[in-house]
Amino acid sequence: MNLWQWLFRSEARKSDLDAEIATHMEMAVADRVARGEDSEAARRGVEREFGNSALVKDITRQSWGWGWLERLQQDLKYALRQLRKSPGFAFTVIGTLGLGIGAATAMFTVVDHVMLRPLPYQDAGKLVAIHEANSQGKEIDSGAPWLDIEAWGGQSHSFEQIAFSGRLPGRTYLQGNTTSMQVGGVSVSPNLFPVLGVSPSLGRGFVQEPVGFTPGKDANTVVLSDAVWKTAYGADPKILGKIVKINADSYTVIGVMPPGFHYPFDPSALQVWIPFQLADRDKTRTDATWSYEVVARLRYGTNIEAAATELNAIQKRVAVNYTDSELREQRSGIAVKSYADSLVKADLRKALLALLAASGVLWLIACVNVTNLLLARSSARHREIAMRGALGASRWRLTQQLIIEGLVLSGAAASLGILLSIWAVKLFQHATVSHVPIHISAGVNFNILAALVGLTLLSAMLSSAWPALMAAYAPIGPALKQGGQQSGISRAQNRVRSVLVVTEIAMSLILLVACGLLLRTIYTLRHVPLGYRTDHIIVASLDIPSYRFAGGNTTTDLYEPLLERVERLPRVQAAGFMSQVPLGQNFNIQLGLRLNGRSISSKLKFVSPSIQRIFAFNMLAGRFFNEQDTATSQPAIVVNRAFARLHSPDKHDPAAILGTHLLNLRKNTEAQIIGILDDEKQKSIAEPSQPEVEVSISQITPDSGLYQPTTMAMDLALRTDRSPASIIPDLRSILRKASPELESATIITMDQIVEDSYGSQTLAAHLLEIFGGSALLLCVAGLYGLLAYIVTQRTREIGVRIALGAQRGNVLWLVLRQAGAMVIAGVVIGTGLAVLGGKLVRSYLYGVSTHDAWTLGAVALLLLVCGLLAAWLPARRAANVNPVEALRAE
Amino acid sequence: MAPTQEPYRNRIELLQGTLDMLILQTLQWGPQHGYGISQVIRAQSGEVLQVETGSLYPALHRMERAGWLSSKWGQTEQNQRAKFYQITETGKQQLARDRSKWETMVAAIGGILVGQGVGNRE
Repeated sequence: MNLWQWLFRSEARKSDLDAEIATHMEMAVADRVARGEDSEAARRGVEREFGNSALVKDITRQSWGWGWLERLQQDLKYALRQLRKSPGFAFTVIGTLGLGIGAATAMFTVVDHVMLRPLPYQDAGKLVAIHEANSQGKEIDSGAPWLDIEAWGGQSHSFEQIAFSGRLPGRTYLQGNTTSMQVGGVSVSPNLFPVLGVSPSLGRGFVQEPVGFTPGKDANTVVLSDAVWKTAYGADPKILGKIVKINADSYTVIGVMPPGFHYPFDPSALQVWIPFQLADRDKTRTDATWSYEVVARLRYGTNIEAAATELNAIQKRVAVNYTDSELREQRSGIAVKSYADSLVKADLRKALLALLAASGVLWLIACVNVTNLLLARSSARHREIAMRGALGASRWRLTQQLIIEGLVLSGAAASLGILLSIWAVKLFQHATVSHVPIHISAGVNFNILAALVGLTLLSAMLSSAWPALMAAYAPIGPALKQGGQQSGISRAQNRVRSVLVVTEIAMSLILLVACGLLLRTIYTLRHVPLGYRTDHIIVASLDIPSYRFAGGNTTTDLYEPLLERVERLPRVQAAGFMSQVPLGQNFNIQLGLRLNGRSISSKLKFVSPSIQRIFAFNMLAGRFFNEQDTATSQPAIVVNRAFARLHSPDKHDPAAILGTHLLNLRKNTEAQIIGILDDEKQKSIAEPSQPEVEVSISQITPDSGLYQPTTMAMDLALRTDRSPASIIPDLRSILRKASPELESATIITMDQIVEDSYGSQTLAAHLLEIFGGSALLLCVAGLYGLLAYIVTQRTREIGVRIALGAQRGNVLWLVLRQAGAMVIAGVVIGTGLAVLGGKLVRSYLYGVSTHDAWTLGAVALLLLVCGLLAAWLPARRAANVNPVEALRAE
Repeated sequence: MAPTQEPYRNRIELLQGTLDMLILQTLQWGPQHGYGISQVIRAQSGEVLQVETGSLYPALHRMERAGWLSSKWGQTEQNQRAKFYQITETGKQQLARDRSKWETMVAAIGGILVGQGVGNRE
């Protein structure tokens, strides 16, 4: 019969068979009676002749097929019934496994969303990002100049097409229907959309023509992203052909891209794309040449390595054209990476993989714990299983039944695990928004489901296979005998269980050591002197709508009036500007300048003199800017100690650099170094200071070469003893009066910025705390369970010992010794593994070595104490055994 | 296949394929229920072959699953409700195949039994 019949009609068919055989026997009896036997004898004769009718029915039913499904159904029902009878055991197992599966699934979800997510381009696996690199392979993030890109396109055969893009300089403001909003403006080569394999959902893309120095057919057109179309224009169906204003220029909308499309990939960004236009700046290969991000589609049949080799050879010829030797060296090679890989920073990827490994360890510990519990349970049921074997169940049948019980537990644990992981991912989302710039949704896709199912099956196999096999292959005879408690089987089993507990302890030690090292790192980081004050400071990060002030001077038109108004707010002690406050992550300016004939590079910050009253930077030598430094006085710059150490004429005295002239702030007037700042933590607390040059904005005029970066973004900092909640509204209203776009600036306290800069370490530490704590709990529970079981098993032996004169202390020592042996063995093995694996976590640590003896010692002590605590209760129970009762109980 | 002296006490194990062939042959003559099939086989073999019921019903159900038989509940002459089996087209083909195999086997064995032996004769 087929599956349909089996599902719905098996009962009917079974009774059919019974009726059929009953009829057969009736007819046989009738025949015999007709031949002259009496009915009783006839019936007995027929039954004897028929044989074992139950067996016949069974064999017949088996021939219907689907026997295995019926057995499965029976096993499931039995497993559920067993679990209902011992709810404590069921909850413990389901909780333990659920914790392990939940943690592993949650981490896998994060890894999947960050690293494995599908990109909104066609066949994204064939897209590669091309970066120039120096001969050691260190990449330049900024991209490649137009001339190089053209050379690659002409000489390379590995790519179908090469496309490039560049973000529009400054901040881009789009005038929507009601407001102006900031968007990410990207200027792209016309072939970008075909290279990515995506066409606009409305309208068209750009005309496919080579880029040139004269305006192409699509000059002054723009393609909008779906998000911009919906937010700024309310999904207006007549958007095509409409003229929109971006900054001060007009563009015609020719298309809208499909929802979910972003390039460069950034799911939260509002983007618009305009066709690329070459200009004079692209005719050369110097410092001043603009660089563009390059993306290309591999030709069918080529792989990344072959493309990289070819491009490296081409680049060697191309790099000869760089006149500056340092530039030539920096750009002498090529690094080709798949586009997906290039989106995730290497250290973030490593951090996530390490956390995934930690969650895997937690899952393993949970499985080991469950194996222990199942072993204990199967030895409690050994009589029942022996009975089944004696009644005719095959070994395979017994194993199958026990494995199905394991699967049921694992399945229930998986449902619990899903809930836990959804909750954990939501928590992660909240945490990462402030710490780490990755976007996760709690959505489930195929990868995650597959991982979940795989984890469930693996958990079931790992934890129940061994106990099942051990139980099924246990000899039946001894188990059925009365008082067969001390058989050799249980001795071997106890050894197995002890080994499992030792493994658990070792793995927990690893997790706890990692957690401890990370906590120490954070503690060290929090106590590193920053080099400036951070208390009572409010920072507003402003993106300047420079198009509003084009033709004027942002310093005099915007910044100075803003400062005046802010300083007049009640209880504001000081206010000042800095293009990027220390530890901020928004806006970095890299400056290339010449000193003593050499090309050097350094960070650049613009400040107002009043900033010193807010942050109180330590000065190493010289002075900071003050009111005397104006647009007409001697241009002055301040450098930091790292810069001075690198470039001072006297290698041993950084202060000797004071008075050096470099850098033209105005035409033909070199600026003088007037002060040296002591090293301060700029980008992150763990990194050493980079060379930095500071310039006062009061000395920059629109005709200076450095004017433009001052108009892009600026942080406004003020020192006040008012609470943030009270001062922020006042601040916002002042900003709005200065320029409407500034109202939505991010305003937070300096303490918060410092907190956020700890970034992934805090997050990782919190996660490891959870993992480590759970692991410790599981270990303690596992150890306690095993010891309690052993004590119960050895009750009679202990009774004998006490009867023979052992003191309570001796019995206590007996149990504690066994516990101690396991814990010490686990600690030793775990320590060995932790020392070996220390290399893996070295990159996350700061100020503490991977073999830190304090941390290892503390964790070992913690485990010992917890182990003794776990052993205490069973030990006390053993010591309190009443010998008379123990000897009586069988 | 040894001969028997006493009826109702014979428990001859028939090879599975042979039993199938006998059942199919029996049903050539029309639909029949399980008890009837065993009686016909016993009668037609001259009381030599008695099908063990432990093999009969599994065989019947197996052949039904294979599609060689179809079954239907009906009434016997004594107005008892019984399950009647009927041979199908596929069953008839299977029967033909089995018969030819059987005949080949009989000819082969017969050839050995009545043929010239080697050795033991001068």
